[in-house]
Amino acid sequence: MNNHENQPLAAPRAPADHNPRLDTPLDFPDRDFGELTPDDYDVLGFMSGLEVHQQLLTTSKLFCRCPAGQKASRVDAEVLRHMRPTLSELGEYDGTALMEFKTHKEIVYRLDRNTVCTYEIDDTPPFLIDLEAVKIAIEACRLMNVKLVSELHVMRKQYLDGSIPTGFQRTAMVAVKGELPFRTSELGADQTLRVRQVSLEEDSCREVSDIGHRITYQPDRLGIPLIETVTEPDLLTPLDVQAGGRLLAQAVRATGKVRRGAGAARQDVNVSIAGGRRVEIKGVGNHRRLPQLVHIEAYRQLNLLRIKAELERRGVTPELFEIPDAGRHRTPPWVQTPLVIDARRILRRSNYPPVREALEQKQMVCAVRLPGFRHILAHRTQPGITFAREIRGRVRVIACLESRPFMIHSDVEDYGLAASVWRQLRAALRTDSSDAIVVLWGSEVDAGTAAREVLARAAESLIGIPAETRQSYPDGTTGFERILPGPDRMYPDTDTPPLPIEDQWIAEIDSRLPETPWAREDRLQALGLDVVATRRLAASPWATLFDEIVAEDREALGVAGLQRVAAALEKRLPYFWRQAGTRSLPAPRVLTPIVQAMARGELHPDGLEPAIDFALRHTEAESTEYLAGRLKSEPVEKELESLLQLAAENLVGVHTREAQAVLRWGMGQVMPALSGRIDPCDVRSKLIFKLGLAI
Amino acid sequence: MNMTTSEDFKGYREPLISMMKAFGITVWSEVVARTTQGEFEGLVLPRSETADPLHLVLKLSSGYNIGLRHDTIEELSKFGYRKASYKIPEKEFPKDPGKPRVKLFGTGGTIASRLDYRTGAVIPAFSPGELYGSVPELAEVCNLETEKLFGVFSENMGPEQYLILAEEIGKAIRDGYDGVVVGHGTDTMHHTAAVLSFMVQDSPVPIVMVGSQRSSDRPSSDAAQNLINAAWTAAHGPIAEVMVCMFGPTSDRYNLLHRGTRVRKMHSSYRSTFRTLGDIPLAMVEQGKLTPLKEDFKPRREDREVTIQACFDERVTILYYYPNMQADIIDALVEKGYRGIIIAGTGLGHVNRTVYPALERAAAQGVQLYMTLQTLWGFVQMYVYETGREILELGVVPLANMLPEAAFMKLSWALGLHPDDPQAVRTLMTTPIAGEMTPREPHDGYLVFQGGIPEMKDFLGKTWS
Repeated sequence: MNNHENQPLAAPRAPADHNPRLDTPLDFPDRDFGELTPDDYDVLGFMSGLEVHQQLLTTSKLFCRCPAGQKASRVDAEVLRHMRPTLSELGEYDGTALMEFKTHKEIVYRLDRNTVCTYEIDDTPPFLIDLEAVKIAIEACRLMNVKLVSELHVMRKQYLDGSIPTGFQRTAMVAVKGELPFRTSELGADQTLRVRQVSLEEDSCREVSDIGHRITYQPDRLGIPLIETVTEPDLLTPLDVQAGGRLLAQAVRATGKVRRGAGAARQDVNVSIAGGRRVEIKGVGNHRRLPQLVHIEAYRQLNLLRIKAELERRGVTPELFEIPDAGRHRTPPWVQTPLVIDARRILRRSNYPPVREALEQKQMVCAVRLPGFRHILAHRTQPGITFAREIRGRVRVIACLESRPFMIHSDVEDYGLAASVWRQLRAALRTDSSDAIVVLWGSEVDAGTAAREVLARAAESLIGIPAETRQSYPDGTTGFERILPGPDRMYPDTDTPPLPIEDQWIAEIDSRLPETPWAREDRLQALGLDVVATRRLAASPWATLFDEIVAEDREALGVAGLQRVAAALEKRLPYFWRQAGTRSLPAPRVLTPIVQAMARGELHPDGLEPAIDFALRHTEAESTEYLAGRLKSEPVEKELESLLQLAAENLVGVHTREAQAVLRWGMGQVMPALSGRIDPCDVRSKLIFKLGLAI
Repeated sequence: MNMTTSEDFKGYREPLISMMKAFGITVWSEVVARTTQGEFEGLVLPRSETADPLHLVLKLSSGYNIGLRHDTIEELSKFGYRKASYKIPEKEFPKDPGKPRVKLFGTGGTIASRLDYRTGAVIPAFSPGELYGSVPELAEVCNLETEKLFGVFSENMGPEQYLILAEEIGKAIRDGYDGVVVGHGTDTMHHTAAVLSFMVQDSPVPIVMVGSQRSSDRPSSDAAQNLINAAWTAAHGPIAEVMVCMFGPTSDRYNLLHRGTRVRKMHSSYRSTFRTLGDIPLAMVEQGKLTPLKEDFKPRREDREVTIQACFDERVTILYYYPNMQADIIDALVEKGYRGIIIAGTGLGHVNRTVYPALERAAAQGVQLYMTLQTLWGFVQMYVYETGREILELGVVPLANMLPEAAFMKLSWALGLHPDDPQAVRTLMTTPIAGEMTPREPHDGYLVFQGGIPEMKDFLGKTWS
């Protein structure tokens, strides 16, 4: 018998979760974001990669025929479920955490009959995969120049948090390995951002609330097709993470067949530093927040590694925190180990309100000794956040403690409990001067779970960076979300057949492939437009509109004219969209006459924006009429003269005599009727003269 | 070593086998595949036998599987070999002398199964150690002993298995077990439940059939809850009948215990697929708590006396009536030697006049003819319309509110028991022995709710969450 047959699992080899470098610069100075150079980040061994999830614009969901993109507006029924970790996961993980998830969390789904069917609540097997989604995904892959597989295999990726009622997400690899031109890298020109893989998967539920042992989800979003694009950890500075995020967002939107708006595109960012390992920060909405976020995460890892080094220096080992498994009778930790005591007697006269309240409610209050942890709990890991809060975040998620606060610790001297009480706790726990104490309260079962989790997290301090996914907060800090699932959580979906990608689909998709943002950028730059404007235009939703409306007059417009058209679109369209609440583009034929008029010199360049703005808000006929009235013509001088005369006559009604104010008033009287037909500077000087202003 | 076996190309056909041989690779080889699309690196997996013969399946290091079409592959180079067999972790099932003894029979349904994470193949977990490894709560319920009787899918269960199962249950009862659990695929669970209700009579202990609608390799599986509640019912429950123990609502809340002759699978995939028809369920059960809903159940006894009548005549069929049915169908059945026909008639128990002569011929040949209902709910009543009266005269015997599947099982059993005594068979068929016919239907024995009605929203709000 071969030796390798005895291995428990033929798990795929773990992706390289550990930072390739081990030389953590423990003495590196603490600095805020903005104070470090790319070289500094290099010293830190900073590495980051992105995972962008982009919903596709399809009629139906991926594995059922519910409408995609419809929001729930009511609750017709609720379904309650639990998630059980399956065996392989028990083998793979720290079982305790999962066991707690399993036994304690009630998961509730709110159903709106218009947005979900029996598939979403896992009462009907999947229907065949939506081909519209498959084809959009293939198109996205062709645009990103990644390598298509020839047959899709739907896999199940396990999630036990309840965000998917089956307990797994159906997902299929569409393509692997490609490179995007990364022109905005802080590290200089001609960089590339490597794409590791593109998969097509179903979206998960939206979380409604998570209180105590009950988590509530809204499944309207569940099952909407999305593509997940994963990059290699090629982003080596925080600003590059932001720029990479933008590039990737453009890339996945390049088909145009994607959903827009809140929640339609979400990104996760993976970060590690030298000596650390990949930590995944989930659901970052805005690219602008990325640099600060990853900077803080880099320092959090540095601080955790400093804590590890300090603990090692003190001779602390993971074994010190070991306690036996709770077993099927849930033996409380205060019975199993001297590291934890039932502290109710010692605290019975405490004045600290949260503890007093807990005791009044007959809850458990226990104290945990953390050998060698003195002052470690107060060590800062993120701005305004200590290591104690790292522990607290994890305990809250896993043990579901509800009261606020639910723990205090001895590193904050004289806080909460009287010095005499701390002394009594020290005596009862037999601590020495190098130990720390954590006091926890909650229901008996939860407090027991919490005490175990505190010890588990303390033991992991010796690993350094626990494999976690974290959620991001608006201030750039992060909190524990869940333990990072291992690579073994992926297994084949036995409910769906493999789907061969037909050559004909690829040929058809290739024949009408839109231009990529980077190809468009090259082409626009070749026209002479400046780099920044080009980049913005190329990435914009109106890039094609621009091409169409300038197509005839490129020569006549010249570089300055083209820049003006680009700028006008960039200013007026988003403004109009915000006001009108739409994102629709006008037909090119509506704007082409305006651009042509400017190209022929009939419309003054200053008239371009108002004319475009008018066209966006009016019918084509109205716009044509408007434009006709704005064209430069002979009588404009005469008209100006009469308007100036009118202004001079009306001057008596103006209350102010302050020259600048009068001038602004006068411009307001004259310009609207002439805009686009005359240079405002001419009007200004004539007005000053006519009104006799001292300017 | 150049010898290869079919296992080395498991699931692959031509043209891939030749290609794999040409490049010197087999299943479980780690390869770099150079294709017209680009390079892919991964582990060669077996191919599903039902999939097309054109694609090579690779598992990438990310855990994803992909397929590569043979004519895109330019070169396969092997750089490793990783075969590993997936085993279910076993933990010794703890024994507690204070707890009841329960026997779990396996029939091949995958009540507790694991997925081979690489191939997707389902491996049944069955030994006590495997079950304890996956549902440790069972140890809090009883001392569990297991015996695998067969390894067949639900749809392949048949007389051969029924007879063995009945005998084995009898043995287990006489051996002193406090309850019996039968793990079974769900598709024909109600058929087996019905036949066991007739073959195993006057059991002193609960006989609980259980399965799962979502296999236990899924985190959202109903298997664990079903198994725990079934084991609890067998170990501690007061009802000594053949029952089905499956989800009540679709939410993870409670299980229902259904009488073996009145239960039916009513949805292809819902968790709450099993329903009692024409009556209310026997009881609700949650871990550690059983609430009887009916009072007329047969109670648990201390003795270990049981009547086992393991007989089955296979020459019985169900004839599902449809408009314009022709007589030749029935003639053909008789000609082929069928001895019993359960008609599933329309409405109160009707068929068209066209088949009358055939029914008459069948009756004359000694074929036993019985009437049940396609409506599933309600009683056969053949006096209301003339049609009914005519059919009665042809020798068709009405079976009150017996479900067609239960009637089929009962007739097969009765003909097996009394092969040469038609009158005894008829008497047996028209005498209720395990609740298969009830004297009365309670007002709430028929509740097929309609969604969308305002009061249903309140109801679902209360029962599902």
